[in-house]
Amino acid sequence: MDPLEKIDRKRQAQDRIRAQRERAGRLKSRVVAISLICFALLWGVVFVQMATGNDPVLGDTSTVELEKSAFAKEPVEAETEPVEAEAEAEAEAEAEVEAIEEELIEEEPAPVTTSQS
Amino acid sequence: MSTEAHRRFDCFGGTATIHIRATSTEDGEKAADVARTSLLDAHRRLSRFSDESELTRLNDDPRWEVPATPLMRALADAVHSAGSRSGGLVDATLLDGIERAGYRYSLDGEPSISLSEALASRAERAPGAPHPDRLWRSIGVDEAGGTVIRPPGVKIDSGGIAKGLVADLAAEELRGQRTYAVDCCGDIRIGGCAGLERRVRVDDPFGGGPVHELKLRDGAVATSGIGRRCWVAPDGGGAHHILDPASGEPAFTGIVQATALAPTALLAEIYAKAALLAGPAGRWLPHGGVLVRDGGEVDVIAAKQPLTELAAAA
Repeated sequence: MDPLEKIDRKRQAQDRIRAQRERAGRLKSRVVAISLICFALLWGVVFVQMATGNDPVLGDTSTVELEKSAFAKEPVEAETEPVEAEAEAEAEAEAEVEAIEEELIEEEPAPVTTSQS
Repeated sequence: MSTEAHRRFDCFGGTATIHIRATSTEDGEKAADVARTSLLDAHRRLSRFSDESELTRLNDDPRWEVPATPLMRALADAVHSAGSRSGGLVDATLLDGIERAGYRYSLDGEPSISLSEALASRAERAPGAPHPDRLWRSIGVDEAGGTVIRPPGVKIDSGGIAKGLVADLAAEELRGQRTYAVDCCGDIRIGGCAGLERRVRVDDPFGGGPVHELKLRDGAVATSGIGRRCWVAPDGGGAHHILDPASGEPAFTGIVQATALAPTALLAEIYAKAALLAGPAGRWLPHGGVLVRDGGEVDVIAAKQPLTELAAAA
């Protein structure tokens, strides 16, 4: 192989390596971008659910409780009970939050006056 | 949220107030009623103006050692403690001198003169000093035997000491409440597990608006002054109920009112009275307070010892 051909092959090899690196870089960026979008979408869904009050954990618990108790005996009433139970749970939670808030902003004690005895 | 229960009633020759917030409004109201009953009961037993009171019976008893209730023993102990802590300035054995000065009966509704008139009638100003006999030293308590020991004829004047003591005793029963204040006619014990600050206004002895405002979370404040009960003495000059122990005469020291902060109401009462009797040069307010001079000038005294540290140690 003459020296000119050697140099040419070397350049071609370097070009191939550069191209490979660029492709790998593009792939990496794409993977990162897709991961971020998926992450944001997932949390977006969770956020919307929580913000609208549809906590999946609360929903499951109330269902289980109903299945264990009244639902098993009276299947006809069960269709309306989850809604009532949910409303009750919401009201209780609201009352609890209100109580905690009120406790946190407890009214200032009445002032007293000290005068000569 | 529970609201604070309030009670205001005549007691100890003045007006007592109680403020309690419990975990529920109903509990607060109940606790306030109990505290009110305690204060009225203590007043009935410690009044020197009633022949039937335990104090009057003790003062008239010819024995050296007299059986006494825990409340009376606590008062006797407080009298000794007041004398000891104030170097004899706060002497609750001067009852004869007070009666000689004209304060034999409760002066509620009796004719009186204003503080300004009383001050104008007396030109001299001098700090008070301990009585040389220091009779308060002779008062002791035998807790095991349930008696008060003192020489016959040595009489105890319940005065401000009883107010501070009773405020402390009532407050002890309220430790678990969210907020409380027991005000025995100016001797006030404040506290509560909620840890909230309560504002305390210091009254103007000359009848104006409050001269100062303090804030207290856990502790006590008491005010001693000469303005509330002033009358004309047999010599024509002004008189009041706080005597200079040394002379046995009403004290005109240059200070007309002293307000003291302390961990307990009893201690605050002792500091306030000592500060009043010591005059402007005295140094009797270690936890801070307010002094009002003859001319109405107000001195706010900064605390040298933090109240909380001493409360923990007390």
